[in-house]
Formats: sequence, C-alpha cells, structure tokens
Amino acid sequence: MAGIEELSPAAGPVETRPPEGEIDEDEELDETILERLWGLTEMFPDTLRSAAEVTASGSVTVAKKLYSFSRAALWVGTTSFMILVLPVVFETERLQLEQQQLQQQRQILLGPNAGMSGGMPGLMPPAPVKM
Amino acid sequence: MGSVLALAGAGRQNWPFSSDTPHPQWDTPLPHWDTPPRWERRDGRLPNPGSFHALHHSCKDVFPQQIEGVKMIVNKTLSSFFKASHTFHLSAVSPSQYRFHVEHRQSDSHGKDTDSPVLIGEMDSSGSLNAHSLLHLSERIRAKAVFQTQQAQFMTWQFETEYRGNDFTAAVTMANPDVLRESVILVAHFLQSVCSGLVLGGELVYHRGRHEEGGILTLAGQYSGPNWVATLNAGKGGAHASYYHRANKQIQVGVEFEASTRTQETTASFGYQMELPEANMVFRGMVNSRCIIGGVLEKSLSPLPATLLMGAFVNHRGDKLQVGLGINVG
Repeated sequence: MAGIEELSPAAGPVETRPPEGEIDEDEELDETILERLWGLTEMFPDTLRSAAEVTASGSVTVAKKLYSFSRAALWVGTTSFMILVLPVVFETERLQLEQQQLQQQRQILLGPNAGMSGGMPGLMPPAPVKM
Repeated sequence: MGSVLALAGAGRQNWPFSSDTPHPQWDTPLPHWDTPPRWERRDGRLPNPGSFHALHHSCKDVFPQQIEGVKMIVNKTLSSFFKASHTFHLSAVSPSQYRFHVEHRQSDSHGKDTDSPVLIGEMDSSGSLNAHSLLHLSERIRAKAVFQTQQAQFMTWQFETEYRGNDFTAAVTMANPDVLRESVILVAHFLQSVCSGLVLGGELVYHRGRHEEGGILTLAGQYSGPNWVATLNAGKGGAHASYYHRANKQIQVGVEFEASTRTQETTASFGYQMELPEANMVFRGMVNSRCIIGGVLEKSLSPLPATLLMGAFVNHRGDKLQVGLGINVG
C-alpha cells in the first residue's frame, strides 16, 4: 500500500512504465533480468501459457528426434550404399575407361576414321571417277 | 521347415550370422535332371517338375552367400569323373579348418544319360565327415544316402528314394532312423505339373520319438512365366514365398518372404544379382527386414583360372560386421 501512495509524486513526469517505481523498490528483492522477463508472461491467460509450453517442449523433442534420426539414417544410408552399390559402380567405371582407352589407342593406330570397334581400318576417300 | 533335410540340397538355409557354414558344392544340381528350366516345354508335354528341394533355388541363387574370414579353395580336376578340392578357411568366429573334398561325378553332361553313381565325400581337419552318394537304380528311380558326422559322432544319416515320372516327382526320405532310441523322421514329397508353368505339390513330415510323435503337412505351388518364377510353400510349420524375376541379361532380382510358427518370426528379403561378363564380375546384394545388408563381389582374374570373392555383411541393428575374402583357384 505504501507503494501506491508513492506513485503519485512519481507520476509527474510521463513515464511509459508506471510500475517502474515499484521496480526501483524491488531491486532489493534481487530479481535477475530473466526472472523479470518471465514474470511478464504472467499477464497471459493460463490456457495460452500452457499451450505455448506444450508447443515449445514438443517442438524441442521433435527437433531432437529429427536430429538423431537424420544422423542414423545418414549413417545407414551411406554404409548401405557403400556395400551394395559402390563395387558395381567402380567396376562399370573401370570398364568404361578401359574401353575408352582402347578406342583411343585404335584411333591413334589406325587413323581417325576407325572410330568404333568393328569399323574398317584405313578407308581412303573415294577418288573422283569422272574424267 | 525340414531343418534336418537342409543338407539334402539347399545349403543356403542358414542365414546371415549363424555359425553353420554352408556347403556350396551341394547346391549344384545334377545337370541332366534339372535342366532345361521349368518354363520350357518339351514336345508339348508337361515337363518334369524337378525335385522338391529345388523349388526355391532360382530365387535363393540370387542372394549372396555369407562369407567370413579368409578362404582359399583349390580345385583340381583329375579326370572327367574325378574332382578334388582343398579348402583352407581362416575364420574369426569359428575355429580355422582345412577341408578335403572329393567327388566322383560325370561332369560332361546334358544329353548323356548317366548311369554312374555320384559319390561325394568331404573330410574336415577336425575329423568331421560329410558323405553323399547318389545311385541311379533305373532311368527314373534314384536313391540317395547322406551321412554327416561331427568328429566321431554321427549327426545325420539319411536315405532317400525318388521316382521321376513324366510330369511328376515323388520322393520318400527316412532321416536318422534309430532302432535303439525308437526315433525316426519320415518325409514324403510329391510334385505334379498341372498345366504349363504351374506345379503343385506337398510335403508330409512325420517324426516319431520315444515319447512323442507328430506330423506336419505343407502344400507347395509354383507358377512360372517366361522370365519369372513365383513359389509358395504353406503349412502348419510356416510359410515361405519367393519371387524371382529376370529383368534382362545382366540383372536378376529375387524377393523372399519367410514366416515360421516355431520361432514366431517373419523375415522379408530382397536380393539382386548383376552380371557383367565384359568386366568379368558378378555382384550379389541383399537387404533384409532384420536390418541386415550384404554384398558379395566375384571377380574372375581373367587370364588366370582364379576367382576373387569379396563380401561384407552388416547388421545395422546390432552394429555387427562380417567381412570375407576368398580365392577360388582352378
């Protein structure tokens, strides 16, 4: 009650936060900033507060689960790909490179006309027949 | 189902992370009995359906075989009848062993009618013996005897008689008959080609001990198309369904589903096989509903008569790994 009486002299200058008079007094109560901010939430109705709390904790749990699931899934996916797919990929790539190399060698050896395997080597351009 | 009879043909019954080693040599069927493939008809008549154990083989062949440790197999062909092979197996989960395998089997095949018996013997470095003998009593009747010992003790002794008719197969097997203990397991198989591509049949297992006896009936059916085969075994002991599909010359795919009432568990597996003859390689991969994945790469080192096998099986749920390396020479 004493605080209310003291408000009137402090109300002279326009202040945005009327309870600041109380806050000057409440510094003796040793509240941290977080506790003061938390106290502000008490102005919301209870249902809203509980709903917000449930949503916040739920989303934290979901985020944790999602993180651990994505870790496990990434590991399982990578090792399974390594074991099931990688050897075949290596072998087919090696085969392709070998075939390319052979093709290049054949090109160098037999001239630029012998492109594909089975192409006839050494084709001469047709000489003009009309005389 | 029929675990005692697993050694009769399907060595792949032991799935990943079991301690038994499969015997790959038992899986190869005698060529003149099981070819041509079931979906081809001969002279417009229904073909012989083959043996009961071979029903799921086309799907099971797609799956990789579990290899573990380092294995070296040296094959020597002594003549057109005799083959010997030495196997050295260094393993991390079971004691290392050396195995000597010899077979007397006519190896040039397909058109010839073979009357010579097939005798296969395998001896372990710990003294275990595995012996199969197959006799052709007549053109349609064949008799088979299997003996398996674990060091000095006989584990399995089994006798089978099979009759192959024009479009049906009937077989009777007697496993572990023991007069002193009054116990025996009798199995009867019957398979009939009903129409082109459809084979129906059944298996009856009767086991008898001193204090108990029982019988299990299983029905089997197989339907094949031009490049796929679907098989189903269903009975009181569980169900086993498999589907095999040949996508093209290089890729074969198999899906398998197994449910057992004895162990109360079901397993679904998906396997594929990719062959690249230009790269001299065959790759088999498998994914399981028990969170087990595995892959085995077989590469033939072309000018040398050798094959290199590399495989890994990972159990994601238990975070276990089995890696194997093998070389087959000859």
